[in-house]
Amino acid sequence: MIYQRLFLTALLIVYAVLAYAATTYEAPFSYEPVGPRAFPLLLLALLAVSTVYLLIRPGQMAEENAETPLTGHVLGRLVLCVLALSLFAFFFEKLGFVVAAFLFAIAMCRLYNGRWVTSVITGAVMSVAFYVLFDRLLDVPLPLGVLSGLGV
Amino acid sequence: METLGYLGQGFGVATTPLNLLTALCGTLIGTVVGLLPGLGPINGVALLIPIAFALGLPPETSLILLAAVYLGCEYGGRISSILLNIPGEASAVMTAMDGHPLARQGKGGIALSISAAGSFMGGLIATIGVTIFAPLLAKWAVAFGPAEYFVMMVFAITCLAGMAGNKPMKTAVASLIGLLLACVGIDSNSGVYRFTFGSLGLADGIQFVVLVLGLFSISEILVLLERTYYGQSALKTSGRMLFNVKEAMFVKWTVLRSGVVGFFMGILPGAGATMASAVAYMSEKRMASKDNRFGDGDLRGLAAPETANSAAACGSMVPMLTLGVPGSGTTAVMLGALTLYNITPGPLLFQTDPQLVWGLIASLFIANVMLVVMNIPLIRVFTKILAVPYWALVPGIAIVTAIGVYGVHATTFDLFLMIVIGVVGYILRKFDFPLSAVLLGFILGGIMEQNLRRALSISNGDLSILWSSPITWGGWALVVLMIVLPMYRGWRQRQVARPANP
Repeated sequence: MIYQRLFLTALLIVYAVLAYAATTYEAPFSYEPVGPRAFPLLLLALLAVSTVYLLIRPGQMAEENAETPLTGHVLGRLVLCVLALSLFAFFFEKLGFVVAAFLFAIAMCRLYNGRWVTSVITGAVMSVAFYVLFDRLLDVPLPLGVLSGLGV
Repeated sequence: METLGYLGQGFGVATTPLNLLTALCGTLIGTVVGLLPGLGPINGVALLIPIAFALGLPPETSLILLAAVYLGCEYGGRISSILLNIPGEASAVMTAMDGHPLARQGKGGIALSISAAGSFMGGLIATIGVTIFAPLLAKWAVAFGPAEYFVMMVFAITCLAGMAGNKPMKTAVASLIGLLLACVGIDSNSGVYRFTFGSLGLADGIQFVVLVLGLFSISEILVLLERTYYGQSALKTSGRMLFNVKEAMFVKWTVLRSGVVGFFMGILPGAGATMASAVAYMSEKRMASKDNRFGDGDLRGLAAPETANSAAACGSMVPMLTLGVPGSGTTAVMLGALTLYNITPGPLLFQTDPQLVWGLIASLFIANVMLVVMNIPLIRVFTKILAVPYWALVPGIAIVTAIGVYGVHATTFDLFLMIVIGVVGYILRKFDFPLSAVLLGFILGGIMEQNLRRALSISNGDLSILWSSPITWGGWALVVLMIVLPMYRGWRQRQVARPANP
């Protein structure tokens, strides 16, 4: 319950920042009575009221959440997963899709309890197969990055 | 009669070789996605949007693909529910209540086949419903002005919150967050940048694909990481694979009733398949005689939710096609896909794009037949897929998700934005805020604000335009009903519970 209250409080702070930003929105010229800030401000007001209500009466937690409590170990893995995703996004263009996806897939396989050998094989197969499938067959341009010199 | 003519044209569209093949692939992919624990119709449909684009499919074909995947997921969700006791998606939760006990009693084959038949009947009943009701509603909806539309959207949001059972406030917050996210980017009326905080990447607003894949795919990856289901093996299906006449007769009324209930629940904006299966299960349980075995392996308890969730999946196409208001999270994704093609769903769609609408409706019939034909003999094959371990599955999902998002604008900014949305989505999920409400809010946000501002421009700022016509009165009455009814029900439940625990 305490975590939910912390989260709700954080949300309230976000609303306040957004509301401050919204008050500055003014149309340079306008031929309609409402303007760009009324609707967001209305939403933020409603959000604030309902969030405060939840702070006072938080309601019950889902059963699903009771089933998988967030232990330090799980939390650590979640952080690693987000880190892997972020690094994948960071290197997506710099290293190119194939290399980034290869490394990322290995990391993800390991996170989900894959063994080293299977992880490396999965990484290699997935990175090349998805590149061929999307870039070559489906015409979704994917960056080649460091491999662009190979002339593939 | 006119409707039948249009439906005939629709079958003409749906039975072209390309569209038939698309429907077949869609139903197959949908079934597989649906049966994999953790992946539901929203993920399946969302992941396929970039692929449909990449293939350069015409709009009606990609819509047929997405609808086939949606129906396929509703079919597939039951397999893991019955054999593993892990619902593949939310609407299959009720299926596990009686399906898994049946499988443990060695009646897995019967449970799977009767639920497939139930899904088929549900889909059929609802598709007939769509054929009859969608054109009527579309004709009526032409009378909608901006004010009427705005009230309709308010109704959709309150419906969502009112139906959400014990967490209406959380659903309300989630849908408001979705509405607010729709405000990000350039305001189309005034050209003012809103909530971009100087970032060029946000100037265009949050891309629909980025939001969907962030909310559903990334948060799902994080949830899957938490789960310890990995390694759990499915029950073997043994014994008779097909139900017999006696069993079919036993559930026939349940199937018919649940099909109708499911269809109407599907039409209600926001209620969707999950609510429909719960309502059908509960009402069948209430109607059954005292010696029922609900919860312990009653065939009716299996047939009711399965029929209802397929019916609701079809039913939710009605508000999507006629009003442009999605009936469920998945139709919200489909609606987004349509707007990517510059098609605005709404009452006029029936006039401007009849081949799209009727082609889709006809393909619902076809997809249903394909699913039942495919599902009964292929059960053994599908159950094998349940053995795919997460370490092979999740990296694939993550990479396809990243490609889908990168493919929209070819910037890595969108990838980072998706991760941030995914993490926030995961936190919201942990605290039991429904993500499909965020998505529905996001889809409705843009049109809701536009209609409100248009209405107020017409009236020169006079708010009374929002309750100036019979349709708006009706709409507000429904809104009030949707707020008061759940409150009354909660109050009644407390009244009943009080004497029991003084």
